[in-house]
Amino acid sequence: MIFLKRVRYNRLYCNHYIDCIISMAQLSDRQIVHMDLDCFFVSVSRLLHPELNNKPVIVGGGERGVVAACSYETRRYGVHSAMPIRQAKRLCPEAVIIRGDYDAYSSHSDMVNEIISEKVPLYERSSIDEFYIDFTGMDRFFGSYKFATELRQCIIRETGLPISFGMSANKTVSKVATDEVKPNNQMKVDSGEEKFFLAPLSVRKIPMVGEKTYTLLRSMGVEKVKTVQEMPVELMENVLGENGVSIWKKSNGIDPSPVEPYHEQKSMSTEETFEQDTIDVQRMKHILIAMTEKLCFRLRSERKLTACVAVKIRYSNFDTHTMQCRIPYTSCDHTLIKYVKELFEKLFHRRLLIRLIGVKFSHLIGGGHQINLFEDSEEIINLYQAMDKMRLRYGEDKIQRAAALSFSLRGFNPFNGLSKSPVGKQTRDTLLLADGDVKTSAPDNTEI
Amino acid sequence: MKLIVSSFTLLKQLQSISGVLTTNATIPILENFLFQLNNNELTITASDLETTITTRLKVESKDKGTIAIPGKILLEILKTFNEQPLTFSINDKNNIIEISSDYGKYKLNGEKGEDYPRVPVIDKSNHIELPSAVLHEAINKTIFATGNDDLRPVMSGVFCQLSDDSTVFVATDAHRLVRYRRTDIKSKQAGSFILPKKPLTLLKNILPSEETRVKVDYNEANAFFSFENYELICRLIDGRYPNYEAVIPVDNPNVLTIDRVAFLNSIKRVSIFANKTTYQVKLSIKGSELSVSAEDVDFANEANERLTCSYEGADMDIAFNARFLADMVANLDTEEILVHMSLPNRAGILTPGKDHATKGEDILMLVMPVMIG
Repeated sequence: MIFLKRVRYNRLYCNHYIDCIISMAQLSDRQIVHMDLDCFFVSVSRLLHPELNNKPVIVGGGERGVVAACSYETRRYGVHSAMPIRQAKRLCPEAVIIRGDYDAYSSHSDMVNEIISEKVPLYERSSIDEFYIDFTGMDRFFGSYKFATELRQCIIRETGLPISFGMSANKTVSKVATDEVKPNNQMKVDSGEEKFFLAPLSVRKIPMVGEKTYTLLRSMGVEKVKTVQEMPVELMENVLGENGVSIWKKSNGIDPSPVEPYHEQKSMSTEETFEQDTIDVQRMKHILIAMTEKLCFRLRSERKLTACVAVKIRYSNFDTHTMQCRIPYTSCDHTLIKYVKELFEKLFHRRLLIRLIGVKFSHLIGGGHQINLFEDSEEIINLYQAMDKMRLRYGEDKIQRAAALSFSLRGFNPFNGLSKSPVGKQTRDTLLLADGDVKTSAPDNTEI
Repeated sequence: MKLIVSSFTLLKQLQSISGVLTTNATIPILENFLFQLNNNELTITASDLETTITTRLKVESKDKGTIAIPGKILLEILKTFNEQPLTFSINDKNNIIEISSDYGKYKLNGEKGEDYPRVPVIDKSNHIELPSAVLHEAINKTIFATGNDDLRPVMSGVFCQLSDDSTVFVATDAHRLVRYRRTDIKSKQAGSFILPKKPLTLLKNILPSEETRVKVDYNEANAFFSFENYELICRLIDGRYPNYEAVIPVDNPNVLTIDRVAFLNSIKRVSIFANKTTYQVKLSIKGSELSVSAEDVDFANEANERLTCSYEGADMDIAFNARFLADMVANLDTEEILVHMSLPNRAGILTPGKDHATKGEDILMLVMPVMIG
């Protein structure tokens, strides 16, 4: 146990260890639990606002936004996540639509994470509300299923959030099992039973099978997982290529992928769908500046540098284009804004309305910005340090470039973790106020 | 045309100038050495159009003529010979070169010497002379700090500034800077030029260690070096060198004095544990203790060493790229070195310690820090 715990901090070591586990034990001897917080965003919102209990709730934002999460009450009306808000409203007019509070979600997720990290040696946080835990070998000391049950009870007791889990010999089957028993429930798929468990389910339930694959499979007459199990793997390969093989394996309850405790962050990005398609180049440039500024702040506060910038635009006809360029490692606003603008100018050449724009930094590494003798003046370095200090203390939106001022990013985005700030029509006023705030009540005691 | 030459002498001369040859030259003839024979004097030229270098040696011959001989093949065969006289017989009509050694005969196909590009001639030039040792030292101390950025070609060379009270050599890649000044070398006419890296590397390798005077002639476009039996002419980098004096901070109240070798070894050891892209190491100075530390969060590697030093100034934490720092420390020769600093976001300046003995030499090495929290 102690060995395992230490191992968690070292990725290389750990991968090696996982390899050992796989080779040592038969794959079917593993015991993997998938834990999933039930409609997490809704649960947290209800915890903070009890008046939402027993009401249909949808978390999401904006006229053109999508449903980020929805309560089980609304699901009965056919609402599901990633559905446009407008459609959701039509389906379930009485639903209460709330905007997300990412900070709260994040902190509640951290609470759950902490409980799990205290109790188990090897786990993977695969998203804000999902965890994979490897219990292999622990049944020598505790019953794994009993232990998982206790863990689940403990999480419910300490955080007040409903959580479900599925347990089996691999990640795929556990995930499907969790999906089946939700909400607020648990289940175990015994070793050897995986195939039978999956057989009666719809192929849509297999992770990796999205809308397009599902349509394709349906057009082939495949509806249940059982059919895929009975198909020769070569047929799946012919139709879907490598993914086909992977889906076939998963359908047969084969998934050797290990629980990986460490995930390197590969990129950070932000994007924005406009309330109305636009062709206002000036405004879009300002938005890009605001986006870059935000990402730069994140880079610096996470002590990272980027070496690749990408800009994405989506025209109103959904044609999506991206362009990227390699640059020397940096985290400086002025350098990155320059590249982002250049990329945008190269990318945007059709006189078409634009629906979405976005910025992405990749090739991230940890480290500080290497100050340049000629390009970075001392004033600029001091300015960034002072601005970051203010943001950390008084909030991210309290100070920004004038160009970015007339615009605020859509605050809530559950998928990339941008922090909250007002959205929609009232954005402009609120933000100006917020900035006025900086000017008038700029804290005198900030050490700049 | 016929000549007899010692295999070792020829190989030594060819190797000293072969650095100019490129494998994918813009004109194929540049993959050849140009042999120009004038009775018993043989002049060999290698060129890549930017840099041209010639060397002269004595051979046994009564002929005159020119021929371009493929460089790679000639060097390869010469390397296999032990010391022995070689006879080169060149057929002027078909450019076939026949080499006779103790072991046998080798034929290779050359090109007409007349087709070889002409060496540029320097006119309206300024002239200075300096000891080869000084030039050697100046190149050694600066060349490592030059940049590689194609977008900023001026920084890929060494800036030479001549005036009536000193001669200054400067190299920078925008993250570090070396200023090597000689107050004992003066030039009546003020002037400045930027020398590219390639000819400097060549010069570094062929400059004689014994005291020889190197003559330098330069104009707007080219510089011409001559000493002993060598002549080197190179095109200068065109452009305005950044105002380096302006970025060297003057007021640096915090001064660290430390044993050079101990410091260098410490940086080298600790940097093994630093991030492999940024090589970021942190120096924390408290009282008379310096701690050198590094970490790589991705792999959970970390290292920390403590060194005793003498320090005047406020306690501070400052981070640098270990490679830059190590290069500089390694290129100073004194037992102790001084590190002058002011703030964690301002340059650190390395200078030789008190035991610096070379008269007329003034070395300043500047390295920009990495921003930390």
